[in-house]
Amino acid sequence: MTSRHVVLAAALLSVPALLLASLALGDQTVSRADLESLVDGSATEQIRMIVLDLRLPRALMALTAGMALGIAGAIAQAVMRNPLAEPGILGINAGAALAGGLVIVGLKGAGATLLPVAGFAGATLMAAAVFALSWRNGTSSLRIVLIGIALGSLAGAGSSFLIAFSDVADVQRLMIWLSGSVYAASWETLRLLAGWLVVPVALAGLAFRQLDLMRFGDDIAASLGQRVNLGRAFLILLCTAISGATVAACGLIGFIGLIAPHVARKMVGAGHARMIPASALVGGLLVMAADLIGRTVIAPAQLPAGIVTALIGAPFLGYLLWGRRHAAQ
Amino acid sequence: MPLNDNEAGSGLRLDKLSLGYGSRMIVEELDLKIPPQAFTVLLGRNGSGKSTVLRACAGLLKPKAGTVLLDGKPLARFTARESARRIAILPQGPVAPEGLTVSDLVRQGRYPHRSLFSRWSRADEEAVNEALELTGMADLREQPLENLSGGQRQRAWIAMSLAQQTEILLLDEPTTFLDLAHQAEVMSLITALVKSRRKTVVAVLHDVNQAARHADHIVMFKAGKLVQQGPPNIIMTREHVRRVFDIDPDIIHDPKTNAKFILS
Repeated sequence: MTSRHVVLAAALLSVPALLLASLALGDQTVSRADLESLVDGSATEQIRMIVLDLRLPRALMALTAGMALGIAGAIAQAVMRNPLAEPGILGINAGAALAGGLVIVGLKGAGATLLPVAGFAGATLMAAAVFALSWRNGTSSLRIVLIGIALGSLAGAGSSFLIAFSDVADVQRLMIWLSGSVYAASWETLRLLAGWLVVPVALAGLAFRQLDLMRFGDDIAASLGQRVNLGRAFLILLCTAISGATVAACGLIGFIGLIAPHVARKMVGAGHARMIPASALVGGLLVMAADLIGRTVIAPAQLPAGIVTALIGAPFLGYLLWGRRHAAQ
Repeated sequence: MPLNDNEAGSGLRLDKLSLGYGSRMIVEELDLKIPPQAFTVLLGRNGSGKSTVLRACAGLLKPKAGTVLLDGKPLARFTARESARRIAILPQGPVAPEGLTVSDLVRQGRYPHRSLFSRWSRADEEAVNEALELTGMADLREQPLENLSGGQRQRAWIAMSLAQQTEILLLDEPTTFLDLAHQAEVMSLITALVKSRRKTVVAVLHDVNQAARHADHIVMFKAGKLVQQGPPNIIMTREHVRRVFDIDPDIIHDPKTNAKFILS
């Protein structure tokens, strides 16, 4: 029990530590004296710009996006009753990518500013389609997973088709957005994303008992008085609102929704009252770290955070499968 | 039917109930009254519809036609939470999510008694403790479910249903994965719940002798039809058993309990 507390405390302390590191490290190192000069107001214009206008909103954006993806992942795993589920299974990523592609190719130059809107619309439409198509006198977790995968592949094929027949410059813009990055973060986008997330994240926090029960399967949940289909629809809506907005703001930062809930479960146990905040914490740390690594490791070139998380995520997925190779069921 | 007519309105009653999955009908036009505060066992071969009937009694399966009545009111008119405070069901071979302890599981039984913002109450805690005591799981409450034997896990699930504190308890093959000693424990637990707690228990069992020995009321199904019902000593006849199970049994008397014993 105490070792859990130590891990939790370390994770909590890592937030300010990573935040400071994100402010200090980069193309141009900002010294401790420079950071202190920001506090007492004697900083130079250049330091102010680098730290306050560029690095701080970017680090906070990474933190916010990671927290959102961690929560969305915890919801997805409970609703789909599958430890390998993540929001992407609802078709959110594929839908966002396809809509983004359509906008960039269809609208030529004007597309870039519309990308986030299109991404969110695509994600939402796709999740709605997955839910609607899996409805047959009610939904089931398994049908949602299967139809999500099928529709996701279909949308993926659509994206590939668009990419094959589009202008190279358009495709490059699309790919940069898709690879998931917080490089374009500004106070404005951060405010928009955070403002949008407040309500669904608060509702997800309140729904911990519903989430706890949903994992037991439809029969047990219904026999204990849960309105299974209504609850599932509501939680999928929350998951879509949270991860769709994050995809719109930052593109596809993969694997966080998968990894964060697992690490959180190890830290605080399986109950969602603690698991939801812990998933947010782990997700936020992971994306902040991924962005910091991505922009320092091969500086001055930058790796998008989404590529770094994939580099961590793929082996982690292998580790999960390896650990479960003897698991019953 | 040798039932008390004064109680016709109380407890569970099935009225011309037809059940099925998709276009496949399993049970047609079943009329059945579950005797209140007694132990009823549903018997029949695999696929005879007994589990389907049990699921319908808990509202887990919508009838194709007919009604399930609880105290004379259609079950469909109760909210999910209301009916979960009156009827608990333990399905066959339930699977728990990973990483739960026994007490995590049993505490889930309190779900229908709690509202969105209510905190864990003393009544909740007492219900959980009592359920753990009754099932003999109190010492194992902090154990992860994965570490338990099949019998212990089954008792943990029964404890969850007991924590729900319903007057009606439906059990689908509660003894299937248990060794003989644990089977006997579950049977005496059920008998105690009926005798001292005045609960109505309905169970699907495969062991006819367990049914003959412990049940107050037996309902025999064959291919979705009710064949016979009544107290075990009256309806456990060679002819009925032959018709329901397609075997040719000998029946003797258990000298200890005077219950009938079927040799197949």
